[in-house]
Amino acid sequence: MLTRPSTPRVLPLLIALATAAIVLSACGDSIPAEPAGILRDPAPVVGDVELPDASNGGVTFATRAQDDHVLLVYFGFTSCPDVCPTTLADVRRAVRELDEGLAARVDLAVITVDPDRDDAATLTAYAQTWVPGAHALRTDDPAALRAAADAYGADYAIQTNDEGDIEVGHTAFLYAVDSAGRIRLTWPFGTPHEDLTSDMEYLFNEGV
Amino acid sequence: MKRLLLVIVMALIAASCGGDGGIEIDDPWARSSARMQNAGAVYMTITADDGDTLTGVAVDSSVAMMAELHETQMSDEGTMAMQEVPNMAVPADGELNLEPGGFHIMLMQLAEPLESGDTFPVTLTFENAGEVVVDVEVREE
Repeated sequence: MLTRPSTPRVLPLLIALATAAIVLSACGDSIPAEPAGILRDPAPVVGDVELPDASNGGVTFATRAQDDHVLLVYFGFTSCPDVCPTTLADVRRAVRELDEGLAARVDLAVITVDPDRDDAATLTAYAQTWVPGAHALRTDDPAALRAAADAYGADYAIQTNDEGDIEVGHTAFLYAVDSAGRIRLTWPFGTPHEDLTSDMEYLFNEGV
Repeated sequence: MKRLLLVIVMALIAASCGGDGGIEIDDPWARSSARMQNAGAVYMTITADDGDTLTGVAVDSSVAMMAELHETQMSDEGTMAMQEVPNMAVPADGELNLEPGGFHIMLMQLAEPLESGDTFPVTLTFENAGEVVVDVEVREE
């Protein structure tokens, strides 16, 4: 479902865009004309995805930003040593590097794909390490978790290997949701924190 | 006789330099752990003059219960998952990069949170060079 420019025909266009971006950036305009993240068309609507918020006593939380805010959404789990902390540390850094006024308008929701091991307190402490006041979304209902992931185009699988170790596979995208509940941008794993910062500036500039 | 002496001296120098197998470790680091995060990852860049193979890793139990060589890979479906790997090759004419989203050393069941500014030793075992101890620096990013 992701829009990726992969055919050779778009290469000249990409070069032209890249050249334009370089020229524009040379003019001192810090907000990019085109975001680094992936624009999905049509923008998936996730505002009606509702999960219990473990950071708020299990009260249902709909994954939609407050007015004039951006809600970043990440599917992960706390026993993840490599992929999740890499992206979430980049989120922390990207938010810190925004102007204070904008940083206060960025919220984070971490949805655990491993609810058996991530209890409410664990997930809340973990999520709020990265962004103060982050939402910790956790459900014991596998169907509700699967439906939430499907709405985002996310995926996960939990298996126990021959040695009895739990192995978790998961898509590692970061999503930006606006106040209308639409996914405005999707960032793949490894997106530099500078790009997250400039893309959030882009979103605020466009209107959220 | 002079020539023989020279050869012996050269051999001695070569032997003394060969102790570490020409292993060089650059920037060993681990990210500070989030609250309640019970696993960690160690990253670094390894070079070996003649190439070598990283076959094992160990940490003290005061850091983590266990350390393993791991690789994060992306499946055809786009999901990312980690797997233990038996070894990692250090090419003679290149470097082995342990980095986020790829090869790394996984620390399982951290004894204490990894805090920015901490350092801890990790023992790497190489097929040719044997054991090499590196000090890993903990930092936020």
